[in-house]
Formats: sequence, structure tokens, C-alpha cells
Amino acid sequence: MKTNKIFIVALGLAVTAGLASCSDNMLNTASKTQTTTANYYRNTTDAYYALNGVYDGWQGTVSKGPTFSFYTASEMMADECLGGTGYTDARNSQVVDRFSTKQDVSQNDLYESLWTYYYNAIYRANELIIRTDQIDWEGNTALQGQYIGEARAIRGILYFDLTRMFGNVPLITTPTKDLVPATPADSIYAQIIADLTYAAENIPAKAYPKSSAAQNDGRITPYAAKAMLARIYLFYTGYYGKEPVGLTKAQALQYCEDVINSGEYQLVKSFKNLWPAASTAWTEDANGTWTKESTYAGAGNSETILSMKFNYDSDWNGNNNGNRSIVFIGVRGGIFKAPYGQGWGACTVNTKLVQAYPSGDKRREASIIDIANEGIETMKAYQDQGIKDQREYTGYFIKKYSPQSKYVKQSDGSWKLTHDIDGLNANGDFQTNQYQDYVLMRYADVLLMAAELGSPNAQKYFNEVHQRAYQESDGTLSSDYVEMSATPENIQKERRLEFAFEGIRYWDLLRQGVTTAANTIAESSTQVLSGGNKETYEVSAQDIINKKGLCQIPLTEIQLSNYKLQQNPGW
Amino acid sequence: MLFKVVLIALLLFPATSLLSAGQLSAKLVKGNVVSATGNEPLIGATVTVEGTMVMTVTDYDGNFSIDANEGQSITVSYVGFHSKTVTVKGNNLQITLDEDVNSLDEVVAIGYGVVKKKLVTGANLQIKGDDIAKMNTSNPLQAMQGQTPGMTIISTSGQPGADLKVNIRGMGTMGTSSPLYIIDGIRGDISTLNSADIESIDVLKDAASTAIYGSAGANGVVLVTTKSGRNGKAQVTFDGYRGWQNVERKSKMLNAEEYQVIMDEAAINSGSAVNDWASYGNLYDQQGKVVNTDWIDQMFKNNAMTESYNVGVNGGNKDGNYSLSLGYFNQEGIVGGKDVSNYERYNGRLNSNWTLYNGILHVGEQIAFSYKKNKGISVGNAYNNTLRGAFNTSPLAPVYDADGNYNSTKSGDWYAYDGNPYGVMMVTSNNQTNNANLSANLYAELEPIHALKLKTVLGYTYSSSDYRSFSPIYHFSDYSQRTSNVVNQNKNDGYSLTWTNTISYDWKMGQNALSAMAGMEAYKYSGSYVGAGNGLLRPGFDSWYYAYVDNGTAQTKETGLTGNGSPNEPSRMISYFGRLSWNYKETYMATANFRYDGNDNFAPGHKWGFFPSVSAGWIMSNESWMQPIKDFMDFFKLRVSWGQNGNADITKYGYTAPIKFTNSYYNFGTTLGADGNVYGAYSDALANPDLTWETSEQFDAGFDARFFDGRLNVNMDYYIKTTKDWLVQAPLPKTSGVSYQLINGGDVRNSGLELGFNWNDKIGKDFGYNAGFNFAYNKNEVTRIANSDGIIHGTDGAGQLYDNSTEFYRSSVGQPIGYFWGYKTAGIFQNKQEIDDWKAAENGILQANVQPGDVKYIDVDHDNVIDDNDKVNLGNGMPDWTLGFSLGCNYKNFDFSMTANASLGNQIVQSYRNQSNAKANYTTEILGRWTGEGTSNHMPRITQSNINWLFSDLYIHDGDFLRISNITLGYDFSKLLACQYVSEARLYLQVQNAFTFTKYNGMDPEIGYGVNSWASGIDLGYYPRPRTVLIGVNLKF
Repeated sequence: MKTNKIFIVALGLAVTAGLASCSDNMLNTASKTQTTTANYYRNTTDAYYALNGVYDGWQGTVSKGPTFSFYTASEMMADECLGGTGYTDARNSQVVDRFSTKQDVSQNDLYESLWTYYYNAIYRANELIIRTDQIDWEGNTALQGQYIGEARAIRGILYFDLTRMFGNVPLITTPTKDLVPATPADSIYAQIIADLTYAAENIPAKAYPKSSAAQNDGRITPYAAKAMLARIYLFYTGYYGKEPVGLTKAQALQYCEDVINSGEYQLVKSFKNLWPAASTAWTEDANGTWTKESTYAGAGNSETILSMKFNYDSDWNGNNNGNRSIVFIGVRGGIFKAPYGQGWGACTVNTKLVQAYPSGDKRREASIIDIANEGIETMKAYQDQGIKDQREYTGYFIKKYSPQSKYVKQSDGSWKLTHDIDGLNANGDFQTNQYQDYVLMRYADVLLMAAELGSPNAQKYFNEVHQRAYQESDGTLSSDYVEMSATPENIQKERRLEFAFEGIRYWDLLRQGVTTAANTIAESSTQVLSGGNKETYEVSAQDIINKKGLCQIPLTEIQLSNYKLQQNPGW
Repeated sequence: MLFKVVLIALLLFPATSLLSAGQLSAKLVKGNVVSATGNEPLIGATVTVEGTMVMTVTDYDGNFSIDANEGQSITVSYVGFHSKTVTVKGNNLQITLDEDVNSLDEVVAIGYGVVKKKLVTGANLQIKGDDIAKMNTSNPLQAMQGQTPGMTIISTSGQPGADLKVNIRGMGTMGTSSPLYIIDGIRGDISTLNSADIESIDVLKDAASTAIYGSAGANGVVLVTTKSGRNGKAQVTFDGYRGWQNVERKSKMLNAEEYQVIMDEAAINSGSAVNDWASYGNLYDQQGKVVNTDWIDQMFKNNAMTESYNVGVNGGNKDGNYSLSLGYFNQEGIVGGKDVSNYERYNGRLNSNWTLYNGILHVGEQIAFSYKKNKGISVGNAYNNTLRGAFNTSPLAPVYDADGNYNSTKSGDWYAYDGNPYGVMMVTSNNQTNNANLSANLYAELEPIHALKLKTVLGYTYSSSDYRSFSPIYHFSDYSQRTSNVVNQNKNDGYSLTWTNTISYDWKMGQNALSAMAGMEAYKYSGSYVGAGNGLLRPGFDSWYYAYVDNGTAQTKETGLTGNGSPNEPSRMISYFGRLSWNYKETYMATANFRYDGNDNFAPGHKWGFFPSVSAGWIMSNESWMQPIKDFMDFFKLRVSWGQNGNADITKYGYTAPIKFTNSYYNFGTTLGADGNVYGAYSDALANPDLTWETSEQFDAGFDARFFDGRLNVNMDYYIKTTKDWLVQAPLPKTSGVSYQLINGGDVRNSGLELGFNWNDKIGKDFGYNAGFNFAYNKNEVTRIANSDGIIHGTDGAGQLYDNSTEFYRSSVGQPIGYFWGYKTAGIFQNKQEIDDWKAAENGILQANVQPGDVKYIDVDHDNVIDDNDKVNLGNGMPDWTLGFSLGCNYKNFDFSMTANASLGNQIVQSYRNQSNAKANYTTEILGRWTGEGTSNHMPRITQSNINWLFSDLYIHDGDFLRISNITLGYDFSKLLACQYVSEARLYLQVQNAFTFTKYNGMDPEIGYGVNSWASGIDLGYYPRPRTVLIGVNLKF
């Protein structure tokens, strides 16, 4: 019996020992398709792909389809657009537009998706920036300045958007999962200015020349960084009423002059050619054949200093490359007339703005879809599917940024009006695949900023912009043109008409003071149609003043921070 | 297994019969022993002459001969049967033994071994394979519904081949919460099994039973034992049936007339004029009548077929036995029919066991092959649910246009976006998945000395699946269209290898019986995936028949050209385990188990875990002081156990932060499309090298009792199961920039009670009957979530109830997993006065412009505002109580059985209508809407907006139901046939899912679907389980 037991134990031990010796090796498996943050960021190739990832993250702030993008929110908050959207939709757009949760008290996470995508992009930039020293640059300091400059510029732009919207937000420059309380805006601006100044100084001027726009459009150039710095200067000094750290008025002006003197940029001759829908016309001949005529200057044209790029190859499997804001603001109810495509009817245009354009100003027609004048309002289909399903219908939609449609010949010979993106992608989904770039900085803006910052050439710069707006198709100046002097008031008036729907107006108002902005935006008795029924549109100035013009911080985030993060007063 | 063990034990001691001292006066009596059911010879039954030492066993034909005198009593006993004592009379005794369904001497499977039922100290239960097979379900688990207290089995869809949601003793985690399935000792997929091949299924519920499975056992373990051959002459069986399936009841939608009334009322309530119906030209058919489509009716198919055929052969002798079978199963879907929804399965199996060297060595194998062919409609979330369209499309849209094609509403003038849900189902459900599964186990068991067993098992499984789908061009509306065709094909395969070695030894020390087992196991898995797609199929080849990638001509990603391949990340495990069992006089018993597991899912330093358990039992009925009531209660055992288990089922390499290269394109320059893109690298997770197991700890106490000579069996268990350190993707503050970090982030507690009664008796010679009743209660409560707000949000539920709807289920501390989170309501505002009173009482009002007829949302925190703080727990989809009943009887050649199961205390969220679409159809429930004071206090007035349909208790329905799941009536003709080669010829009629008693107004109250895995009871347009009437035959030769 005893020997038996010894035998058992011995055998057991032999089997156990034999297998134990190889066991730890056996358990050390590694992925065959993944690298990890621990073993990436080794060389310039890694840095290049990581930088692309930063751009993609930045694009995601629009292409991942936040409920409101920075640009759509800016339009609603300004006196340019109403909330709009579908008649039966939640009233979240109204909350944004009117600065009032009375529109729908359940809307306390208006910007949760936007907030998420911004910090996701910031995280990607931070990951690359903090690993600068870990990367073997092979002595190529110019390349290091270029890549890191681009990453820092994007981070600066992201924080500039965030702090304009929310005021004090957590400033994170090293990835952390910890709860970080909000940083005072002054410190955030110091970081923004440091980031963009680094980009302006370290990205080589020749890194991405305009002459190679076909390859490099969308890249951050030192000029883009400089123009952004001027915008930052003007906003900070206007809203906070003091000079920022690290940036003087003289520097801001000099940055603008640098851009102007670089010779890289010039205004596109005809204003409408900046915008695809405004520069495209479809005509039908006697045989019923439809032809497209377009004078669109194209992406990366001579006036573009910085744009956010989009593409039409999105899918529903996480590949987001499209301009998701565009479908949000397009004409609701279907496709009724080329070249306008279908959208969800947000950001209906405020009649006040339509009326602000003096006669002869070509920018009105290039910027705004006039439903009645363009023959859409009389269509029964539009009345049934459009107006009846539209909230806060004013008769006007944004034209500068619009989904597009086209005529396609069918196999039976007839012509059909379809989404422009149909056929471009295997899925052909107009919701995700809009590809019109967001132009974030135009040369015209630099000219007007230089004028505002007191350039000796202020009047010349101003005239350049103003005259273009009155240019007839044969290149002559309209008889309606009247020269205006480049006073601060006139510059602001001009900016309103020049940059309508470009996400600029609201911040231009706000930098004139919250009270001024609020009183300009306030509405009391404007009549609109909701679901085809008359409705009075009201915005209270006090609601804007109470909130200092700032946006609502997402409640979910406040809760996740265990209330270390505080809601903005008034919300 | 059972027979094998018993047989071996008995065959080892043939000498015992020689020991019997023959009595000179006795004569040789011959006899034959058969079972009452099936009339099969019983081999190895023990025959003893009462009051003597004379004893023998029956041979392979059930024959025996023994020395006994006329008038003496002889007793025949056989494991699993009631013993019988007969008086010797004549020279040819015919003895029929009745099966003892609750025999305590039977063995049941436990991890890496078997144990006598009466000595079990853990909480487990056994279902016989025959009981599963006779239910004729496609998946064996389905047949166990209502038969296994403590095991919740819920359909996730009524589509043929759909998975079942299985939880043992409540949801213990928000990750993978289904149990571990072990088939003949090796991890396997129970859905590949043919029910006819199953000998028994043992469910291990408490930690003392499951701890031997260590890091994989936290959600309970299901042990499947497949059929081995029976010694004796070869037996051939044939089982077949054919059935007709129909939907039990359909949802009633508004017809055209009702729809028009409701639409007009909506317009009036919103201040618009009523619709001028005459102006919508295309609402009328050629006869000028308004189109009136019942879309729900259109989607279903009558008398969808199901059929199954099995052939089996088994037999054996003292050197070995074999069992082989072939099976075929097919089930058509009741939605859309077999062209779009169908499940087909082929099974083959060969099991054999061989005895070598006089029983010192046993070798054998179980080899099984299955091939499944599946096609189906979408049964996923609101955007991937084929049936949902039928609830939303207006009855004014026709199915077919004047040319007989599927109608398109693209130029419809009432609602151009209506589309054609039937057309969509028929043209978009072109898909086929084929699954092949091979599992092969080889074993050898050496018994060099008595009771010392060394066993090695090598298990190999191989599975492959291939998938093909085709999406044609269609245009039913601008929201429901494809502008180019595309075909996708992919293939996936994986294999696993398990090697298990065990040593066991049983010995006695006086009255103490001990049994020890030690073992080790190594497991590895790997596989790969490859897929391709193409579009622009060649003209003439753009149909399902020709839909293969080679027929596509696309050259770019935009037009459908795709290709990808990846490894199925390998998985490795190494384990050491052991068990020590002791009993004293089979009255006091205890068992200790442990397992030490290493798993490559975790970072170095966190790969190994230790899982112990202890259990004890006391058979009180063996005590002398219990003897006075032995006539009434012949067995009573008290059990108690404690143990720990793990769950390591997480994303591979979840402890790292991977750099991703997918979906990160940016297009610098002016080239559009894929050609313009460069890709980027990024990470979207934070690493967590400290990641480790979920640990489940469970305490169990219970008893097993038998009354009235085994006629009544009662089992009861109480348990508390705490799962600690859930593996969850914890939400981080968004400022972290990443979507999640995998952490050990929460605790959940399940506690409950299980009780089962079984009665089994015979009246007279010809009438036998049995009845069973069981119930289980479970309470689930989250006790910790390791982030600051203590909530895991059901963000994937947003947009599911209707477009842009918000989160409506979540998990948070103090509540059950996946509870429904929304507003409570207090009826309908009947008049202006009620609104004014409500406001005066400083209750919040959600509606911006509230009117009589609107819903009163309750201001729970009474702060005069209705917001998220007023949302509360409105119930959850998991039942509090599950009940099961069964009844059976047989009289002569007739047999009858009925089973039923019930679910109580679960809620269902029903959302059929897209409330964001004012023109979507309603169910007829809306006819009871508020139309004026006193007309309704439940259904609000109709509005074009969804302000009365924010997520509230208006969506919540009680999901209680009682379902008569199976009724069978059979008759065995074999005796009438009186043919010696036919031992059974049974014909039967069966109704499955016969009646459902419920207040729920949907098509099926059994809804395991929950958008994600940890919620359930969400009805967004649920594929109902069919009612099946079938005729079947069982033949035995």
C-alpha cells in the first residue's frame, strides 16, 4: 500500500514538473497585428503616422458626427441662424440657439459628443508631443519642428475652440485618466499661444507651399498658425478685455502682414466661386439632357489658408471622413432642386441677416438659398415633405455649406436627381459622406484682421474685400458699390457679410462684449413656420448675458468628474 | 458513462458468483430481466436468493441462471431501477424492472469525475438526454427551459438557429455571463450537438462544484455527456418528425381607415388642417379603393416546415462498445419563409470504448461532426431589424406596384419615405453562413492496481465558418436604397487543443472512504479570418446565385472592393487542480477542490489565480433517531458549500493600449476618394497592466430529500453569490481622451432560492404517472462600480426606441444590472384645472406647451423641473421568479406528457414605433387614446411630436408569462406488431409552444434581446417563437 502511494505521488510530480517548466513560456503570447503605446513612437515614420492620426482626430470633431459641431453651434448662437431641424425632433437645437433649457429641460448633455471628440483629438496630439524626445529624429530638427509644430498647432486650435465655447476647461497636456478641474482661461490661452507660436516658428515656410496644394492642402503652415494667432489675439482682448500672455498687438499685426507679404495667397476673383453650391448650375436642354456648369475654385484655392479636409469614403464601420455638419444644415425633406442636396434642416437662416446685405452685394446670393426665389417653395413635394416637417422655417437656408445633388441619366434614358455622393462610395450614404471642406481661415479674413489691427494699409486691404463683393460677372464693379472707410464699425459690418455661416460671426459679436452681443442677437417677435404653423421666435438677451455667452458643459462629464468640474453659471 | 462504470465494476468481480456456496437441494432456475420501458434486456443485474449468499449477474441478453428452490424469494437489483423481489415459480422467470428516475445510487458527472448521487455535496442537477431529445428542440438548451431551477434560459430571437441567453444563478457580470460548456470533458459549443446524442446534462451551480473549473467557472458549468454504446446485441434506432410552424399571435396595426383618422387627429391637435386625402393620388389602387396593407401579416409565412431525422446504432460486448449516429435537422423561419430565414444542421457521431488487458486499460474516443447552414433576416437593434419596418410603414403603401414588382414609395405623395419593409426583407436577406465543427476526443485510462486510475484525454476541436452575402441595387425610398451592388465572402476558422491528465485513487480507512484526484490541463486556441468583397457585379451575374467575389468588377474601395485577413488571437491556459473527498459510513461527507490557473489574457505577474472550495454533507436519514420516520421520509441530506471561481473572458490583450491604424484616414491635397487618403496611427485606450480576474464567491446551503419510498423527491438550495472585480470597460472622464480603460471595476451580488419537487408513481400494472414542479427566485444587485458616478451607462441604447431617443437602461450601485431608467408617470392631464393644480403644487412639467391629454411626468425630487434627476428604476428584463411544471403519464401503450415554464417579475420595454416620424403607423392600442376628459388616463392624446413618448413607464409592460411549451401524445405499436425485431414503434403527436398565458400584448413575451449583452427584455419588433405542430415516429430494432 505504501509503495503504491509513493508511486502515485512520484508520477504526479513528474507530470506536473514536466509541464510546469514550459508553462510560463506558453502563456507569453503577443498580438500579431497590434503594437502598443509602449513600443510605438520610435522613429520618424512612426511620428509621421502618429501625426496623421492627430489630423484624423481633429477631423473627428466634425466627421464623427457630434450632435453639434463647433461650427453649427456657432451659427445657431449667432444672429445668423435659428435652431431649425425637424418639426418632431427634440428641442436641443432650440436650447443652443436661445441659450435656454426652458426649451427642453432634459437637454443637459448638448455637447457631450463634441467634448468627447475634442479631448480625443487632444489626447492624440499629446501622445505625440510628449514623446518628441523618445523619437529618433536622425538629426533632422527641421522635420521635428514641422511634425511637432503641426501637432501643437492642432492642439492649440482645439483648445481655442473649447475655451471659446466653455470658458474654463481642463487643460491637459499629458495624457491622464484622472479627474482634472477646470483651468483658468488665462492659462489655457498661454498654452494655446505657446503652441501656435511654436508652430509659426518651427514649421518651415517651404514645408507645404501653395504651389503644391494638390498634395498638401489641409496641412498646417506657419502662415496658418500666424493667422490663427491674430484671431486669438482679437478674441482674447475683446472678450477678456486685457492683453494675453505671450502675444502683443504688434505681433498679431505683424503675423497678418507676414501672411499678406508671403505672396502665397490671393483672393479668388469671384466670391461665389469659393463655394461649390453657389458656383454650380444645372441646365436642361431641349432633349431633356441635364448639364452641369461649375466655376468652383476648388479645395485648396489661392484664398484658403487653412481648411479641415473631408472625404466621401466614410462607412458605418467606424471610418468617419465626411463633413457630418453639412447634412445637419441642408434643406429638409428631400432633394428638390439641383445643386442642393438633402439635409435635416438645422440652422435656418435668420431673415435679419438676409436683409442686411445691401443691393448689389453678390455675397447674399452666394451665401444663402432663397427658397421662394429659387422656385422651391411652390413645389407640392416641398410643401408636404419640407415645410410641414420643418421647424422654424424662414424661407432661407445656408448655401455656402450645403449637401449637393446632381442629375444622373437612368438606364431607361430618363434623368434622375440624386445625392451628389451617390455612386462615389459603395454605400453612397449622404448622411456621412459629404465632402465639402470647412475653410477655417481665408485670406480675406487676414486682410480684414490686419485692417482691424491698425495696418497702415488698412483701407487698401478693406477695399480689396469689399470691392470683390460688388464685382459683376464681366469683372467690372457694380454700380451699387460705395466705398466705405475702414472704421472699426465698418470692418465688423463687412465681416458679418463676408464670413456669414463660417463659424466666425458669434465670436466676433462676443468680443465686442457680452451685452453688445446679447442685445444684437436678441429676438422678440420674429414669425416663423413650424410644421407649417405660425410660431413666434424669441431669444432673450438676458439668457445670453446670464451665461456670459458661454456654452453648457456636459452634465455627464461633470458627474464623472465627481463635480470637480463646475457647470457654467446660468446653465 | 453510467452503464459503463457500473458494468466495469460488476465485470471485475465475476468471481463473486463462484463464491456462493451452492445448496445441494436447489435446482437451476433460469430467468430473463428486462426494463419496463423499452423492454430492453438488462445486462449485469444482480440476482440474489433471499436469505442466502447465492448470487449471480445477468448476461448480455439479460439471462441468468441461479440455484434456487421453488417458493424461495429472489431479488433482482440494478442501478437506476427499483429492485424487485419475486417468488421462484417454474423454470423460466420473466422479470421486468421499473426505472427509478431518482435513484440515489446512480452516478452523476462532476468535474473530472463522477460521484454517486447520494454523496454529492454541491448543488447540481441532472437532465437525462432522453428527456431532452423527446422535446424535439433545435438546441438542447431550449428543451431544458423550465426543467432546471436556477438556470435561466431565454430566447434571444425566434429565428431558427438563434442563440439562447443562459444565466446560472443570475447575471454575475456585465461581460460574458454565459456558463462554461464542457462536452465529454472538453470545452465545446452546445449548439453543435444533436439532442439525440446526449446521454445526460449535468448543471453545476454552486462554487464547490465549479471551482474545479477555476478561472472559467464563475458563471456555472454545464457538463454534457454523450451516449456511449450499451452492451448487448446491436440496436438500431430511427427517430423522425415533421412539423408545421405558425406565429402564435400577431401584433395588430392600424388599418388604412384607422390610420387616416389618427393622422387627421394628429394634424388637428397640432393646429393644422386635416389631410386632404383625395389629393394624394397614389394612395388608391386600380379600383379606386384606398390601399390597405397589413404589413405584419405580409411578413409572416404560414405553415413553415420543420423536420428532423436521426439514425443510431449501438451495441457492444465485454471487449468494448460503440454508438454511432447520423442526424439531420431543418427549420424554416416563420418570418419571410425559407428563402430568407432558415436553419439546417447535419450531425454525425461515433463514440466507442474498448477494454484491454483484462480491464487494466480502457481506451476510447468521441468523434463528432456537425455542419450548420444558416440564413436569416436581421434581428438586431432598431437599425438592423428587418421586422421593425413592418410596424412603422403606413398601411397606405402597397406591397406590389401595378407591374407586380415590389412597390417603391420614392415618388409617393403621402409619404415618400415609407418604403417597403417586405421588399426590403426579400431583397436584402441574401446571406448564408455555413459552420463546420469537428470535435475529437481520445482517452486512455490505466488502472494498474485496483482503484488507482491514470487518465489522459486529448481533445481537439476544429471549427470553420464561411459566410456569403449579396446586396443588390434597390430603391424603395430615399432612406431605403442601394445604388450599387456588392458581394461579401469571408471565412473564419479556429482550432483548440486540450490535454488533460488526471490521477485518482480511492481507498478506505476503516469506515472512512477517501477519494483523491489530481490533474493538470493545458489548452490552446488559434485561428484566422479572411474576407473579401467586391461590387459592380457583371451584368447577368448580379444575383444571389452568382454572387461571388470573382464576378465583381470593382477596382476601388468606393465601389466595393475590399479584402482583409487577421489572426484570431491565440489563447492559452494552463491549470493544475485537485480534489479530496471523504465520507464516513456514507453519512458524513466532505469535499475540497482547488484549481490553479494560468491565463495569457493578463499581464505578466497577473496571469495566475488560485480558486479553492469546500463542501460538506450529512445524510441525516442514516441516523438512528431518524429511523421512526423512515417510512415517510427515506432520505434526507443537508448540504453546505463555499468556494471561489474566476472569469477571465475579456478582450485579448486588454491590459495593453494598442496603437490602431484602422479608420484613421486623412486626405491631404485635393484628391478625393481612397486614393487621396493617408492613414494615421493612434491609441484609444489606456493600458492597465494590473488587470486581473473577476472573482465569484458563492455560499450555498440546501437539502435533498426523498419521501414515500422515493416517490417524492424534494431539493432545495439557498445561495449568495458575489462577483467581485468585474472586468468592465469603465467610462473615464472624456478629458482622458480615450473611450475606455479595462478595469476590475465593480461588484454584483446574486442571492436566491431554488426548490424542486418530483413525484413519480405507478397505479396498478399499467398506469404510471409523474409530476414535477420547480421554482427559482433570484435577486440581482450591483454593489460597487469603481468610477465616480457609480454608473455604467447604456449608451448603446440611445437612438433605439426611436430616432434620437436617449439612454434608457444602465447599471448603477444599488440596482440590478441593466435596469430600465426613465420617468414615472401619473396618468394624463384631463383638463386645464388639473394642469393648473399640478403647477400650483410646484411639480415640474416637461411639455413646453402642455395641454389636456398630455402625460403627467412625475417630478420625483419635487424641484419643479423634470430632468434626469427624476428618472428612476422602472424595472428590468430579467425575471425574479422562474417556474417550471411537467406532467406525464402512460397507460399500456399510450404515453402523454406536458411541460410548462413561467417567468415572473420581469419587465419588457416595447417600442415598435419610431416616435420621431409623425407618419409612422401605430398599433391598435392607440385607439384607446385620450380624446377628451375622462376618455383615457393611460394613452395620451396624439401629437405629431414625441413629447408624450419620452422614455417613461408608458413603454414598460409586465413580461410575466406561463407557457405550455410542449404537449405530447404517443402510442407504441410494437406490441401490436408483435415482431421480434421491433422493440419500439411509437407514433406521436406533439405541440410545441402550445399556449402562452400573458398580459403582454406583443407577439412573444420571452424576450432575451437587450441591444447589448447585459440588458434584456427590449422589444423593438421581436421575431416571435413559432407554435409548432408535429408528427413523429420512434423506431427501435
